[in-house]
Amino acid sequence: METEPWEDELTRALKSQFGDQISEFSIYREQKFLVAHPDAVVPILEHLKLEAGFDYLVDVTAVDYPKKEERFEVVYILYSFERRQRIRIKTRIRDGQELQSAVSVYPGANWLEREVYDMFGIRFSGRPDLRRILLPDEWEGHPLRKDSSILKMDQKWVQENLGIDSGQ
Amino acid sequence: MKSLLRKIFLVDLIEGLWVTFRSQHPKNIVTEQYPAERPRIAERYRGAPRLNVHPETKETLCIACNLCALACPEHLIVVTSERNEQTRRKELTTFTYDISRCMFCGLCEDACPTDALELSQDFELAAFTREGAIWDRQMLEEGPVPTRYRY
Amino acid sequence: MPEATFLDANELVLNMGPQHPSTHGVLRVVLKLDGEKILGAECVIGYLHRGVEKIGENRTYQMFAPYVDRMDYVAAVSNALGYCLAVEKLLGVEAPPRAQAVRVILTELNRIASHLLWLGTHALDIGAITPLFYVMREREDILNIYEKYCGARLTTHAFRIGGLQYEVYEGMERDVKAFCKKFLPRVDEYEELLTENRIWKDRLINVGILNAEDCKAYGVTGPLLRAAGVKWDIRKAHPYSGYEKYDFEIPTRENGDTYDRYIVRIQEMRQSVRIIEQAVEGIPEGPIMAKVGKVIKPPVGEAYVSIEAPKGELGYFIVSDGSTQPYRLRVRPPSFVNLQALDKMSRGSLVADIVAIIGTIDIVLGEVDR
Ligand code: SF4
Ligand code: SF4
Repeated sequence: METEPWEDELTRALKSQFGDQISEFSIYREQKFLVAHPDAVVPILEHLKLEAGFDYLVDVTAVDYPKKEERFEVVYILYSFERRQRIRIKTRIRDGQELQSAVSVYPGANWLEREVYDMFGIRFSGRPDLRRILLPDEWEGHPLRKDSSILKMDQKWVQENLGIDSGQ
Repeated sequence: MKSLLRKIFLVDLIEGLWVTFRSQHPKNIVTEQYPAERPRIAERYRGAPRLNVHPETKETLCIACNLCALACPEHLIVVTSERNEQTRRKELTTFTYDISRCMFCGLCEDACPTDALELSQDFELAAFTREGAIWDRQMLEEGPVPTRYRY
Repeated sequence: MPEATFLDANELVLNMGPQHPSTHGVLRVVLKLDGEKILGAECVIGYLHRGVEKIGENRTYQMFAPYVDRMDYVAAVSNALGYCLAVEKLLGVEAPPRAQAVRVILTELNRIASHLLWLGTHALDIGAITPLFYVMREREDILNIYEKYCGARLTTHAFRIGGLQYEVYEGMERDVKAFCKKFLPRVDEYEELLTENRIWKDRLINVGILNAEDCKAYGVTGPLLRAAGVKWDIRKAHPYSGYEKYDFEIPTRENGDTYDRYIVRIQEMRQSVRIIEQAVEGIPEGPIMAKVGKVIKPPVGEAYVSIEAPKGELGYFIVSDGSTQPYRLRVRPPSFVNLQALDKMSRGSLVADIVAIIGTIDIVLGEVDR
């Protein structure tokens, strides 16, 4: 990814506040993002909300890179109505590592985090009620991980329920 | 005061009813009496698939290139072909199309280089069994024959 | 603590849905009640989950386009626009002006269609049966335009990455203009039926209030946010597909109750007509497809693109690894996020109001569950 460095008063403020907790400030296709240490994410969100006016959490999602050691990249998208600006905050965690929940900062993160848990199996600490949201409670596995395959799931279901090979 | 009068004389109710009565005029009826009166289907409508044949020779236009099967997101088209040793060309043997999984997106139609595969204007695709929704080459060439009701 | 007697109002848990006509699909709401009062509403969703995001990872960029229509199936064109814009952003191309104008016309028609369906079903939930028939009549005109343009009525697959597949059909401008002309008096007609109607007002005013602060906290967007007084619309704030060229207003209201949302949506339909009228006047000539090539292979990278769908901010976050299939495709569905505020909105109101509140969020379960 060919990124450009991102520098303005916001990044300077963040740098002075968080120092080397933030490893990267970049712009790709006119979209700004920063990469932060997992422990620093919630403080950064809090800072951005209270000091910089990023009052709207657009989305929380994750990307799975099974080959890397820090397997998951969790992405927070923030928006500020005042600045008319959207930024992304990314952090990388290992499989099984817990991430602090953002619900205390943005109540809207509740379902989004539950969905991330449901789809990727990333656990968030310090929040109530971390259950599956879209899939049934007794579902096994986390479907958006790269190692769960649609074809295998389909094959398994068809064999169990219909007793034939699925034609896929 | 005004609102009280409106309340007493049920103005809001009468206003609403007036709209209803206005729409009773036969000129304003828009309902289509479906099986008796058949809808007019737009020219570009993407309905039942059709495998076109040459209008005169009745030979299929399909050159068995398999592009439609590759373009389909649902992978529901299966094309088999045989190499004709005399003309050294691939010839179509079977063509199956599972309309129960089709979402009529038109990607197969766009991919076809010879306009052999086409989504036609037939829209009555119901079948009594699941197998009935798997169309073979003959069905695709002839097209479905929907029941016409007479009144 | 004295022992509870049967005279005490105990907390009652009531299960509403998933098969309930006014949950607009397969939404299940577990209500906690104290008599008639709602103490909490918990949504159980996922009955319509089809794994759109996973399907996206297993399809090429072009092949995935028809699937996005199936998320918010009453606003399929908006979904497709968001998806196409996101992939175009990754590719670094832009649709040609002619394609952009046609896209605007079709998406605005779609916004009207979506709001119409919302109006009809919402009114039906409240008990006004008549508007449903009228809105279906107008929606039919829009669907006919779609059918003539791209060959499908609901899940249209109208746009392609880089532009359009189909050229404007002959007489489309005439059809669209005729629709606009006919439609404005029809909106007045709906207003005649509802806006001053006493029952309508009694059932909606001060029901399901969500103020601007809460909207922002829960990430609620779209008409709900505007009804709470925040003048924010992505079409104005971050114009895409040439929206900066058109002159229109963002209707807002102050109270943020159900009635205000109704007014906002009605006004939005009028504004959409305004945009369509401007767009159809000057569809520029030229190509309808940018140069994207047969195989779409965006460079390694990621992008988040969002549009103002009828229900709020619809975003696509796509990560590309340089192959023909998206590495990760995330949809940020407006209905899903908005539905989260149901609990907040319904606390303290009466059971009968929950129907109005679910209706006013304007959810489509295909999009909530994906
Ligand atoms: S219309 Fe779409 S889903 Fe149906 S066969 Fe063609 S490509 Fe496949
Ligand atoms: S793309 Fe057309 S010519 Fe090729 S196999 Fe399919 S129907 Fe036949």
